[in-house]
Amino acid sequence: MVIGYEEGPRGARPVFITDPAQVGRLIFDARCVQNLAAYLSPRRAHLVPLGRRAVVVKGCDARAVAGLIRESQLKREDVCLIGVRCGGVSAHPAPHPEENARSPAGTIADRCAECDCREPKLADHLVGELPLAPPGVKRAQERIAKLSSMSHAERWNFWRNELSRCVRCHACREVCPLCFCERCIADKTQPQWIESSPHARGNLAWQMTRMLHQAGRCAGCGECERACPAQIPFGLIAGKITQMLQERYGYQVSDNPDVPAPIGTYRLDDQQEFIL
Amino acid sequence: MSGGKSSMLRADGVAGLVADWLTSGKRVIAPAVTGAVDAAVAGASGYLAYRPISRPEEIGLKRLLGGDMPRFSAKEFFLPPTEPLLQWRQKKNDVELAEVSAEFESTVLFGVKPCDAAALELLDKVMGWDYRDELWFGRRQAATVVALACPGVDDSCFCTALGMGPDGARGADLLLTPVEGGYLAETLTAKGEALMDSSGKYFTVAESGEAVSQEARGFREKARRRVEKNFHFDQISGWLGGHFSDAFWDRLALRCHGCGACAAVCPTCHCFDIVDEPDGVDSGTRRRNWDTCQSARFTLHGSGHNPRHSQSARCRQRVLHKFSVFPARFHEILCTGCGRCARCCPAGMDLPDNLRQIEKLAAEGKGL
Repeated sequence: MVIGYEEGPRGARPVFITDPAQVGRLIFDARCVQNLAAYLSPRRAHLVPLGRRAVVVKGCDARAVAGLIRESQLKREDVCLIGVRCGGVSAHPAPHPEENARSPAGTIADRCAECDCREPKLADHLVGELPLAPPGVKRAQERIAKLSSMSHAERWNFWRNELSRCVRCHACREVCPLCFCERCIADKTQPQWIESSPHARGNLAWQMTRMLHQAGRCAGCGECERACPAQIPFGLIAGKITQMLQERYGYQVSDNPDVPAPIGTYRLDDQQEFIL
Repeated sequence: MSGGKSSMLRADGVAGLVADWLTSGKRVIAPAVTGAVDAAVAGASGYLAYRPISRPEEIGLKRLLGGDMPRFSAKEFFLPPTEPLLQWRQKKNDVELAEVSAEFESTVLFGVKPCDAAALELLDKVMGWDYRDELWFGRRQAATVVALACPGVDDSCFCTALGMGPDGARGADLLLTPVEGGYLAETLTAKGEALMDSSGKYFTVAESGEAVSQEARGFREKARRRVEKNFHFDQISGWLGGHFSDAFWDRLALRCHGCGACAAVCPTCHCFDIVDEPDGVDSGTRRRNWDTCQSARFTLHGSGHNPRHSQSARCRQRVLHKFSVFPARFHEILCTGCGRCARCCPAGMDLPDNLRQIEKLAAEGKGL
């Protein structure tokens, strides 16, 4: 079964092809924002009986696949990866291809603007031409820097407002390829660690827990932010954590499953001044 | 369209009208740009959502008339995402309970999309069915709904297929239709009439009544043409009745992630969960929270058994509830064709497209 992208009623969307006669439906362009690695998560067990999975992956998606392999959720040999060379996906994908099939630099998502993985290395096949280098603008970094420069009170006010819009639909969790827990801590009731109510206390506990669980694991695909109906900028937290991991452990989320992640390793020279 | 009063609300009168409501102590809810306190940091310019406003200028009238749509429906002001039901405090051998009040402040919902207004009436049916939901009806009673005829949003709209329309008056107390220089205002209920009477100076008799009515009709017809769709719901419902175990559902569910974004933005999804949350060692709050049949946990029994164990069963449930179960009990489809579920789905699930596929299978008299 090939998991790729097709032209849907409102633009590009995931498609699951089991009949060779249907491969003509496959497309790839700047509207193909979805990270299809989510369909490789063990929580998608219903896809397994449809046959060995071949999945179309962009560079960032391949990092998520590597994460699943690294964390023993997927065997490399159980999946065929069709890597696509990618010039960045659209920040606001329009439903119709003519509107932004070839996304001009100014409209690509912030996270793509300084992408370093336009050509996935973790792939069995590579498709397409290598597109032009991204514009190299550091919008995402600049936004994180501005947030970091705020006073505690300002930053608290910023996040309190953002999280006040969360209705706990859990789209952020469900689209995330690395949120693969069979039983999420947010769903546990005995004891209940995180209140399920979408009030300030519950939302803060949920979103901070989710983001911390992503430290050193988040592939930076931006799916949580895109899926959020309340437009909460999770990418800011994820990006900040990624920076901290880089500073503290020299770690960059890799699409090589053999590169160990900080959460699963220990070195004598690890910084530990934060341990009381 | 209505047997009520018809008059003219001038465009430059809207600000004064809304300001008067606010001054008189009314809560005013309207579609307004919502989002980050610092849009540059959030990297997003905000979106239209119904929310309480404190100044008339906050109302996103221009965006509404340009065909924009609030991301979430208006249901949250009648069934909030979370609300306290009661509070408890444990005493030595007793428990002290404090119920919440079912009295609510007088509210005007202004600029409501006709599909959102209609949903309120649909939900009245289930909220007043086997148990009369005091909190729902308390809020309903305290609210006056001023709908604004919609110019049509996009290809995902299918309100006309459900016997509604961008000009639909259902669920509204007062309907505004854009005309040159303002809005044709028509009252549809006694509540709407009372609201108009209490702000009489803003509602004037149109100088050329017939011309204004004709212009409003023109706006409505154009909007209808823009979103015109038709489904054979009798056939769809017949097919649903006979294809509970069809392979169609497995196929449909492949791309679904099982998040509840569709239900969260839906004007008619109304399922809720009730939880007890401690506020301290001996006290706590019982709350009612939005829930969704799309979540695996929704039907998970204490024993570990889950009657809707697959996403396929859960996707089927959402379609069946709206187009088969609810109609069987209440003789109406539980959907207003707003198209939000299709717009917000991160995986490209598309209800109108799925209905079209079911309709095709029904016409061919087969399953997948």
